[in-house]
Amino acid sequence: MVNKRYIARRLALMVLSIFIVITILFFLFRQVPGGPMSAFTNPRMSQAARQAIIEQYGLNDPLWRQYLRYMVNVVQLDFGQSFYYGNSVSSLIFDRFVNTMSLMLTAFVISYTVGTYLGAQLGWIRGTTKERLGMVAVLFVRSMPVFWTGMVVLYVFSFQLGLFPIGGMRGTGASYSTMAEKFLSTDFLYHVALPVFTLCTYYTGLPLLLMRNNLLEVLSESYIDTARAKGLTSRRVLFVHAARNAILPVVTAFAIAIGFAVGGQVLIETVYSWPGLGREMVQASLRSDYPVAQAAFALLSVIVITMNFVADIAYTYLDPRVSLGES
Amino acid sequence: MKQATATFDFDDDAPLLAVEDAVVTYSTSEGDLTAVDEISFSVDENEIFGLVGESGCGKSTVAQAILSLLPSNGRVSSGSVRFRGVELTELSKRELDALRWEHFSLISQGAMNALNPVHRISNQIVEAIQAHRDVSTDEARERVAELFEVVGLDPDRMDDYPHQFSGGMKQRAYIAMSLALDPDLIIADEPTTALDVIVQDQILKRLKELRDELGISVIIISHDISVIAETCNRLGVMYSGKLMEYGNLKEIFANPYNPYTLGLQNAFPTLRGDQSDLISIPGSPPDIADLPDGCRFMDRCPFATSECGTDHPPLEAVGEDHASACYHHDSIERMREDSKNRETWNRTGADAATSGGVGDD
Amino acid sequence: MAVAGLLIVLFYLVLAVISPYIIPYGPYERIYMLDGSWASLQPPTLAHPLGTTDSGYDVLSQLLLGSRIAMFVGILGAFMVAVIGTTVGIVAGYYGGWIDEVVMRLVDILYGLPFIPFVIVLATVFGASVWNIIFGVALLYWLSTARVIRSEVLTVRERPYVEAAEAAGASDFRIMTVHILPNVIPLSALYAAIAVGYSIVAQASVAFLGFGDPAVPSWGVMLQRAFVTQSFGQAWWWTIPPGLSITLVVMGAYLVGRGYEEVVNPQLQEK
Repeated sequence: MVNKRYIARRLALMVLSIFIVITILFFLFRQVPGGPMSAFTNPRMSQAARQAIIEQYGLNDPLWRQYLRYMVNVVQLDFGQSFYYGNSVSSLIFDRFVNTMSLMLTAFVISYTVGTYLGAQLGWIRGTTKERLGMVAVLFVRSMPVFWTGMVVLYVFSFQLGLFPIGGMRGTGASYSTMAEKFLSTDFLYHVALPVFTLCTYYTGLPLLLMRNNLLEVLSESYIDTARAKGLTSRRVLFVHAARNAILPVVTAFAIAIGFAVGGQVLIETVYSWPGLGREMVQASLRSDYPVAQAAFALLSVIVITMNFVADIAYTYLDPRVSLGES
Repeated sequence: MKQATATFDFDDDAPLLAVEDAVVTYSTSEGDLTAVDEISFSVDENEIFGLVGESGCGKSTVAQAILSLLPSNGRVSSGSVRFRGVELTELSKRELDALRWEHFSLISQGAMNALNPVHRISNQIVEAIQAHRDVSTDEARERVAELFEVVGLDPDRMDDYPHQFSGGMKQRAYIAMSLALDPDLIIADEPTTALDVIVQDQILKRLKELRDELGISVIIISHDISVIAETCNRLGVMYSGKLMEYGNLKEIFANPYNPYTLGLQNAFPTLRGDQSDLISIPGSPPDIADLPDGCRFMDRCPFATSECGTDHPPLEAVGEDHASACYHHDSIERMREDSKNRETWNRTGADAATSGGVGDD
Repeated sequence: MAVAGLLIVLFYLVLAVISPYIIPYGPYERIYMLDGSWASLQPPTLAHPLGTTDSGYDVLSQLLLGSRIAMFVGILGAFMVAVIGTTVGIVAGYYGGWIDEVVMRLVDILYGLPFIPFVIVLATVFGASVWNIIFGVALLYWLSTARVIRSEVLTVRERPYVEAAEAAGASDFRIMTVHILPNVIPLSALYAAIAVGYSIVAQASVAFLGFGDPAVPSWGVMLQRAFVTQSFGQAWWWTIPPGLSITLVVMGAYLVGRGYEEVVNPQLQEK
């Protein structure tokens, strides 16, 4: 039984956060030198398209009216037209969103599984030479800038060994009729392997280090002595009793991790030419395609805020003390 | 779950538990520290043995040594710990696991954090059973219900989480768990410390009943000599890693031979009148990293003389099943008399050695 | 470990100070071959120990100069994080009540702004410059520090000497600076050390995405050039040194932070 009032409060905070982020964005983008009007200098756009944009944004209206209209549109998932592509931002962004999530969730699941497992193992063998070497390796990998890791991985596996493609999400000429076909094809796996591997080197560090540190704390709790005194195997003491408790703060830290994870995602999408939200945002910003940049950022924020929410709720399920609304 | 099994060559004539000259050392960055120094005692069937002493005296270390639960930097560096004649310090992890809980179990301060907060209490007990017996979960759960009855808990609440129980209930649940496999010996480390006096009383009564009904032996470790007085048959008084006095409880309480025991008796209620009579021993135990050459208790002992400064006194038999470590057993009558005066305990430490100790006067 | 970290950080700090005087070539000084053509993508030689870029610039000189911007951003970023995070954490934790509630909800909301994308927005709006990074770090990186400091303050303020100071009529400001601050300094220092790394990586990342100032030679800009020209597929001498430098400085700063924390908090040594 999860406390319903807690979920309601948490949900309200989530909506408020999204609202505030979109508001901040709106006003930030009005600060662009020359305003969003600078798009008019884009030679690619026809006279008609310019008129359409004036109409669409009501750029001559007072700021508060523009803001109101923008918010009303956003609620209806209408982010306007792309300056660059000329078509609806929403459909473009949705496509990119699916691509981003396919990469990010895969990497996340692998990293958190591997990270918590290795972290628990490292904590268990504390004080040994093996553990010390392991820690140095982990700290080193964790300190590598992820885009550089991506470049090195590409250098080795694509340029030198020629094992994997240097980027993109599908081979030339590959086409799929359904979403499932697209993401379950071997061609997709072939393209997703290196980006996922690179992201994993970046994501794994946090759960691993946290898990190790928490485990060290948990191992001194008296219920661990109890478990050992019961004659349980080391594996069972470690995983059923110690790790199960040590994992709780890892779930909380997920909230902090996700913000950084999205940053890493943007970088990796750029390195591997992955047609996701992050890369789209970078390119839209470089092209002064503000509606797309704004919408992409908003959606990245929504991902972060939603994952935060999910982590908090997951925590209440994992820790019986919280779910009963106590302490 | 896979069961821990092993066969043992139990010696039926040997005492249930025999600790002989056990030394426990911790290796730290400042070198080896001796937390328990040549301690010997034995526990027989159907008895409650008490280990009492101030915190840091090494009594919990003794419990950990018996259960092989010493922290990774600690070890029994010499001496022996035998359970029915089987040397525990030489067992493999596998053999040890087979003995644990099946033959000797633990009651730790269950009121605090000795039950895992994220698992249901029933599951924690079922786990202990299934780690040793090949029984179905349903059978194990029936046993849990039975155990809840034994310790006076409502079996309907066995699927609660620990935080849903009060301190006393948690401690009962923990006792239920420790009884799950009908062990021969239970080691209870401060079993009632976090509980209020009434619950404490109930728990101790329950332990005595269990001894009488199930024939279980118990080692109770406590800093509170009144807890020991209420429950135990035999007793060891520890100070700074050494056993100061050891033997039959009635005998020791009627004729204490060690100044430290006299001090402890003064410091706790129920043994000598009401609260206003309490006299605590001034000072604190020596740092185990920097032990004095002589008697460990010397610096706080009102009866210390220069003789006490040479070596720690050996345990000497002072009666049948009664031994004490002190150089001044001869003047015990006077020490017993003086120890009742508050002023006596004010002249402790080094000054006592120079002026007006018992000496040979 | 901490000593190794300190040596790494000091090494790069010294480089940052002396690099303008020791670089063999200008960062954007073109090297020519004997035949007069650009020395493009030349592998390491004695004259150019780290080879050249596609435009014929000396990699070693760029690398050395790049340490300046990295150390600048790292130290300034860490300073901002420590000052803002500690101040906010102490104020929220000490006053509690609605102040605490408002501050903590603000922290929750700001957690919703992903850092790198946010700096991209800043760069788009205000133009590419190092100050965007500093501003972004100041705005978003203090969150964790503030949270941790706040919970530490909650325990510190219950201690007898703080309550005694309150009873003695000490001003809030005095209690916060004299009695509480010294207790949370070790934690701030740890988070500041971590922020050194985060700031450096952030600067390099943003520069890599093309939102850095290309006129200032930084490790991020070097990697960006190697990437957009696709030269990194062959010129390892151009990509490995700046990336490795970032990694080492980040790791070094982290080790120093942890080491300092261990010195002031002996409980950790056991672990």
